[in-house]
Amino acid sequence: MFRPIGRLGDWTARRLSRLGALARFGFGALRAGVTLTAAGRAVALRVALNQIRFTALHAVGLVLLLAGILSFLVISQAVRELGRLGVTELIGTLIVVAIVRELGPLITALAVAGRSGTAIAAELATNRVMGEVRALEAMGIDPRQYLVVPRLAAAVVSVFTLLVVFDLGAIGAGFAAARLAGMSGERYFDVVLQSLAARDVWLTVAKALAFGLIVGLVPSYFGLSVRGSPTEIPVAASRATVSAIVGIFLCAALLTAVN
Amino acid sequence: MSLAAPLVVAGVRLAEGAAAIALEVAAHQTVVLLGDGRSGVGRLGGFALGLERPSSGRVQVLGTVIADLPEDARLAFRRRVGYLPAGDGLMHNLSLRDNIALPLRFGSPASAREIDGRVSVMLAAVRLVGVAALRPAQASEEERRRAALARTLAFDPSLLVLEQPFDGLTPRVAGELLELARGGETAEGARRALLITAPDLTPALHRRVERVYRLTRTGALAVEPT
Repeated sequence: MFRPIGRLGDWTARRLSRLGALARFGFGALRAGVTLTAAGRAVALRVALNQIRFTALHAVGLVLLLAGILSFLVISQAVRELGRLGVTELIGTLIVVAIVRELGPLITALAVAGRSGTAIAAELATNRVMGEVRALEAMGIDPRQYLVVPRLAAAVVSVFTLLVVFDLGAIGAGFAAARLAGMSGERYFDVVLQSLAARDVWLTVAKALAFGLIVGLVPSYFGLSVRGSPTEIPVAASRATVSAIVGIFLCAALLTAVN
Repeated sequence: MSLAAPLVVAGVRLAEGAAAIALEVAAHQTVVLLGDGRSGVGRLGGFALGLERPSSGRVQVLGTVIADLPEDARLAFRRRVGYLPAGDGLMHNLSLRDNIALPLRFGSPASAREIDGRVSVMLAAVRLVGVAALRPAQASEEERRRAALARTLAFDPSLLVLEQPFDGLTPRVAGELLELARGGETAEGARRALLITAPDLTPALHRRVERVYRLTRTGALAVEPT
């Protein structure tokens, strides 16, 4: 009778233990970032810029495609249905609340987690398996400063930048959809701007920062957690991506709930 | 046992059930510790650098047990020792040149220009000028070993700990890298002290080092003729 309860307790304890380890890892990385020397900062900046090139610049096309399709589908349907009810000004609310504030950060973060989170976890796991992490420590280089901090910073910058790209793309595609459905451009931008409040902007920025931290931290943690067998690399990459996605959804729900 | 020796191993058990060993690497000397995988010789480098703690005894490096230092001091102290791990440990996403420059860029106050100059000198010393832009996966095993040794010498340390540094190399190249690692000769002997751990050593290299020990699986340390 008590066995299922016991199993549930074990499962919960394991999850909490992993969450604690992740939190320790995160604080350790932040501390390592603060204590970087000037020379270390220059090296870390170089690594971060390289990561931003892969994570943000190479993903612009993907993010624009996702933003365009999502916005075009939602707005073209909404203009038709809301026009029938005579409340086309609600399109602005739809764009701002549904796409810019909620779906934009979520889809951008999921795209980055799927694309770069997997790559970060696999790369750091390879670093560990090939003995490169041990070699860094032996050279007097803190692996968190060289491997984790630049990727963490790059993930935050990339998610934020791609979110801006996503929102611009979504608003642009929404404009095209509205025009095709017979709405004037002037009216479209009027209703969008009227619906946009400072709170929406801050909430979007907060989500970009939180999701960026998750996308940078969770894959780094799983990547560096491998013990030394090459078979652990795909497992680490898969766990990192799934955990980052779950983390992003939980964080999105939490931020929406507290607002 | 002299405390002035750059590296002192006292009462360290390298493998489960094996006897504890004691040895020292005196200044200007090259000491080789031979043993197969099960003997645990491959763990000694990690103990010396404070990357792992031995279950018994201690390894003192330049008068300090590195594992006992606080984290930041431990990292800084390791720059005084050159360590070449088994399998080279080069960063796979950096060129050979950037691999050699990495410890200097991260841990040295020198300007970028000074570091570039020093790296160019080291590349010439290990004969890698023509392939410096290659990544480790594009380079041959010999080139990777040369790059890894150059990186180990980045801070010109007085003590080197090398794990299986000559695996897969011809005796000629192994001899050349050994001389580079020793850093030239002084009146007292080699400029640097070296501890080399490996499964075996060619007869030609036997003659070029001061002391060779062989570790059996029971932990017994036998001196081999040099």
